[in-house]
Amino acid sequence: MSITFKNVDFIYSPDTPFSYHALKGVDLDIPEGSFTALIGHTGSGKSTLIQHINALLLPSSGEVRVDDFIITATDKPSVLKPLRQKAGLVFQFPEYQLFEETIARDIMFGPVNFGMPEDEARAVAAKTLEMVGLNDTYMERSPFEISGGQKRRVAIAGILAMDPDILVLDEPTAGLDPQGAKEMLRLFKSLQKSGKTIIMVSHDMNQVLEYCDHVVVMNKGRIERNCSIDELFKEKDYLSSLSIDLPVITAFINDLNSQGFHLDHDIKDIETLVKAIGGELHE
Amino acid sequence: MNSMVFGRYLPVDSFVHRLDPRLKIGALLALLITVFFDAGFLGYALIGLFVVVALILTKIPAKMVVQAVKPMLIMLLFLSVFNLIFLHTGKLVAKVGPLSIYSGAIFQTIYISIRLVLIVSLTTILTASTKPLDMTLGLEHLLSPLKVIKFPVHEVAMMISIALRFIPTLVEEAQRIMKAQASRGVDFNEGTFKEKVFAIVSLIIPLFISAFQKADDLANAMESRNYNPEARRTRYHQLHWRLADSFVLGLIVLLCGTIIVMSIVL
Ligand SMILES: Nc1ncnc2c1ncn2[C@@H]1O[C@H](COP(=O)(O)OP(=O)(O)O)[C@@H](O)[C@H]1O
Ligand SMILES: [Mg+2]
Repeated sequence: MSITFKNVDFIYSPDTPFSYHALKGVDLDIPEGSFTALIGHTGSGKSTLIQHINALLLPSSGEVRVDDFIITATDKPSVLKPLRQKAGLVFQFPEYQLFEETIARDIMFGPVNFGMPEDEARAVAAKTLEMVGLNDTYMERSPFEISGGQKRRVAIAGILAMDPDILVLDEPTAGLDPQGAKEMLRLFKSLQKSGKTIIMVSHDMNQVLEYCDHVVVMNKGRIERNCSIDELFKEKDYLSSLSIDLPVITAFINDLNSQGFHLDHDIKDIETLVKAIGGELHE
Repeated sequence: MNSMVFGRYLPVDSFVHRLDPRLKIGALLALLITVFFDAGFLGYALIGLFVVVALILTKIPAKMVVQAVKPMLIMLLFLSVFNLIFLHTGKLVAKVGPLSIYSGAIFQTIYISIRLVLIVSLTTILTASTKPLDMTLGLEHLLSPLKVIKFPVHEVAMMISIALRFIPTLVEEAQRIMKAQASRGVDFNEGTFKEKVFAIVSLIIPLFISAFQKADDLANAMESRNYNPEARRTRYHQLHWRLADSFVLGLIVLLCGTIIVMSIVL
């Protein structure tokens, strides 16, 4: 399930006075099985880019390859329908897509659309509902009478129920409480460990450091970096030119090192950091 | 839906953009009425010339006019076919099998086509050159004499401006929801009747919920600012009638007058 962009350009409303060139010469390889972060300013083209992965948008020129699917400007959307099951896309604020009478029916909606029999889909719905941290008493409740955070979980379950090999998430934790955000991210991490490729748009560098292993930086419709997390956070000046803050831990390590410590840049969690500091103090 | 251009504001600066919205709304109304006076081809040539000059002065690209007219083509085709089959005035021009085509029908068809293109072009000039908020402000001014008969001019203008303000938002929202449901395997283009109904339901329900939510939020925001439609208010944004407006007004009165007189005399 590899994803490759080859010289992709995308123009919104071409040939009108309102046209907007949103992607410019995008070349990109997303490693299979990675947890890739997509970062960049608002308006840099992140949401536009990810909608190419399940062919909601077709490139104006260039081509996108997802596994055996080749997506070009002239493809018919109906030919690409099976791709939508393989690459599940969770939009920003996906709670607005809920519409069924019960939560169970809403989660089943995707799998049934892709041809799964109803009873099987119901079992899958129960399983995914549990994965997102809601017990089965929620199955028969209306999706409109639960809290915003719970709606988000149900909407994400609706995509997970399709069992996609690639999971694309557009700012999945925006507006969630820290505890809820953590639970969601742990779920995505465990899905990666089970072999799925995860692509996540995020503005929170602490999340990126803790959960992702690969990062793509977009700026004004172009890809500016495509590297590992460790490499990106070494580029202090570049990040500050984009006014992206370093993760708290990395910033702290930098501060300590400028005061004479020799800590490893790649440390990602507090426990390791505490041990490393303790070790240096002992010497 | 992305390429919907009819009724959209074109954010450029031009002579027509700077004209007073009251003038533009009034002129559109007068011209729309005038288009239905039959002053022969000369009359339409006059209005046509006026429209072409106005389009150029508004800096509307030819492409945009074509795209605005395009959706009307089907209607036009329909009307033409009906006209050609059923209208039997004038001289018999041709006989194709059981069909007889008369000169009156041909003229009528050409007239209707010209009228439609003129109407669409005129409306496009107004909407492309006038911001929605200016439009309602102008409308409120034009309707203000109705206050005498207790017509709620301000409320109506407010409602229209809110409705106009939310059209693009709702279109955007609808596109977003369609994409989200397409990601869950909904096919909005193909499928059986039952699948199509389901597709529409999966769009309409979230759209309604979000529209009601937005209306509720807006109402709360207005109330928390103590909005009272009956309060006397001054305006930050004032309309200014300039010399150019008087000049254009004169021109339009002259044009409409000429055509109406021509249609009566001829
Ligand atoms: N439907 C659309 N029509 C026209 N322009 C759009 C549309 N969607 C997004 N854009 C423009 O494309 C650019 C990139 O948008 P987007 O991909 O949503 O950025 P991001 O997700 O990085 O914030 C923005 O400048 C935005 O205004
Ligand atoms: Mg976005």
